[in-house]
Amino acid sequence: MRRTRGFSMERKKAIWGWIFVLPSLIFFSAFSFYPIINAFYESFYNRNLLSLRPPRFVGWDNYTYLFRSRDFWLSVQNTAIFTLGTFVPLVVVSLILAVCIMSVSRFRRFFQLSLYAPAVLSSVVAALIWLLIFDPRGLANQGMNALLGTTGVNYKWLSDTNMLRLSTIIVYFWKYVGYFTVLFVAGIGAIPHTLNEAALIDGANRWQLFWRITFPLLKPTTLLVSVMTMIQCLKTFSTQYLFTSAGAPTRPINVITLSIYNTAIKDYRIGRATAMSILLFIVMFVFTWLQLRISRTEEVTFM
Amino acid sequence: MKRAFILLFAVLPLVFASVVSAQTIELTYWTHTDDNRTAIENRYIEEFQKLYPNVVIKRVVNEAAKMGDLVLTAFSAQNAPDIFNLPIEQEYGYMIHGRVAPVDYEAVGYANAEELIADYLPGTFDPVTMDGEIYGLPLELTNWAIYINDRVFRDAGLDPDVDYPKTWEEMIEISEKLVIREGDIIVRRGFDFRYPYYLVAMLPMVEQLGGALLSEDGTTAIVNDEAWIQVLEWFREFGPHGRNLGSPTYTSARKVWDFDNNDIAMCLSGFYQQGRLRIDNEEFFESGEWRVIPYPVFENAVQDVACAYYGHYMMVNAQTSSEKQYWAWKFIAYMLDHPWEYLETVNIIQPRNDLLNDPRFMELPYMDVFMNDMERGHIVFMHENGYQFERFIKEAVESVMLENMDSREALDILRERIQEVLDDQY
Repeated sequence: MRRTRGFSMERKKAIWGWIFVLPSLIFFSAFSFYPIINAFYESFYNRNLLSLRPPRFVGWDNYTYLFRSRDFWLSVQNTAIFTLGTFVPLVVVSLILAVCIMSVSRFRRFFQLSLYAPAVLSSVVAALIWLLIFDPRGLANQGMNALLGTTGVNYKWLSDTNMLRLSTIIVYFWKYVGYFTVLFVAGIGAIPHTLNEAALIDGANRWQLFWRITFPLLKPTTLLVSVMTMIQCLKTFSTQYLFTSAGAPTRPINVITLSIYNTAIKDYRIGRATAMSILLFIVMFVFTWLQLRISRTEEVTFM
Repeated sequence: MKRAFILLFAVLPLVFASVVSAQTIELTYWTHTDDNRTAIENRYIEEFQKLYPNVVIKRVVNEAAKMGDLVLTAFSAQNAPDIFNLPIEQEYGYMIHGRVAPVDYEAVGYANAEELIADYLPGTFDPVTMDGEIYGLPLELTNWAIYINDRVFRDAGLDPDVDYPKTWEEMIEISEKLVIREGDIIVRRGFDFRYPYYLVAMLPMVEQLGGALLSEDGTTAIVNDEAWIQVLEWFREFGPHGRNLGSPTYTSARKVWDFDNNDIAMCLSGFYQQGRLRIDNEEFFESGEWRVIPYPVFENAVQDVACAYYGHYMMVNAQTSSEKQYWAWKFIAYMLDHPWEYLETVNIIQPRNDLLNDPRFMELPYMDVFMNDMERGHIVFMHENGYQFERFIKEAVESVMLENMDSREALDILRERIQEVLDDQY
């Protein structure tokens, strides 16, 4: 038997795979891995963004300061409130909307397009639009007054603590609900029709169809949407930044990312800011890992 | 031989281009938006480049509110402009940390610092002088006073000649007479504050009552709690949890005042507002149915302190070559050598003696009000962490005005945050 020289077919495939993946890997390493590692390194130093003096090594001081800081825990609280207030409605409503869209036969694309349209706007533009709406003389007050039959009531969308938090949640929800609806539509579309047909023949009603067939088989998509929504919510910045720049009080919506920005850019404390960003990264990583772990309990296959 | 000549002729243009580009000085100049100033400064750039063809200047404009962040980011990335201007309370840190170069007196046409100082209003260079060196040339020195729309006053049955507010207490009473609301929603404001410039416009209110941000030796935060409480309570009474006369969440007063749409009667602004008014609403400007009144004082004030004045100083990046710094200063001096054009076109005042002593100067509309208020006031509070302190004050005012926090609690939080910075435990 002749001995084959050079690489085997599998090895050749693997090499080509690496060649195709390499540019993305380099890009990701340069613009993601390296900044994360650099940020982690930076978090052990006390450096003033304006100063030309070399940074001073402080070890874990930046982290211990944060864990003792009232302002930091307030930003954690604000982030948690925003995330929970946005995450749950986003996932639930986008799933409901996806089911509704898939249940109609006409104008399906139109509904998807209408819902998706805000997602293509930049966060800055979205926040600016809603700033006008939430202005005391804007559409939000006019709409609420018309709805509730009142006159001239100012619902303080940009000044009252709870209303301000609700306003930021509304902006985020409006911007991303269409995006996640489209993801769910794709997920529902991937479920074979034969399963539904078989269930209908067996006498299942629409409610049972959804809970017994569609929802379990939608698990991978639900997981994807959950992870993406959670990460998006934890990263929120533009809305809170623009609202506070426009005069809204900072305290109720001072989320971690806004606190990072203020610490680095307003206070010039880059070391402390990077420590905060590392903590945020760890939180996002843990939540993502938890979600993946919980979802791994059952495999989903279409038989 | 023939090939050698062809090669030579092919390479020569490249060599020539690189030599030329090496001799060309390229300067970047960052400044904030102002259409009037853009028009004249673009002309100055053209003129300067004709005089000195080896210099190319690129002028970059950004929104004023964003300039602080942009310049800071550029400096930290070692990619800062050669020339920039910011309000002095933001520029102060750049000087302290050695980021800006001292004035090249020869480039700006003076023998030394003393000659330069002698040509300006006394005290002009105090904010930008460190260890005997001057680090900026003033583009403008500005203070704010109250602009009044006479038409709105008369519409409310008030006489603008006598019924204008002289105290902060009267400001609230007169605003109450001017305000129009639909339910809770303000449709016409009497006055609204110049949020969020608290160091310029709010700190003097505290000083009127004998308070201060820091002790004289700069080691203790918040002097005279009662002064601070009274000012915070004034903001509460003015805001939505009090008499509902205005709020930071409404459109900035000075941005709507020009348009004379019966939506605001008074705003706080500088002499430059008149230049903007002329462009935004020439009819209203020419009508003369507006006026400027002095910055009010509390009834129980212990000091007559007007709105602080601040300056925009032209500064030069110290991390560029000495040759670039020379040409940067030379260009700055060329631009600033047109004080009357800046005044007439942009309505900004360079504190130069040749301008201030000109008989035409005091004949400008309400210049006497601004100059008198400047004498009553002082330069804006400056500190290495001034930008940060202003953010803390903003949050304190917002907490009381918009979140209805107890003033004493808000003041305690403010004190704690500032003290932390001072103690360098932050």
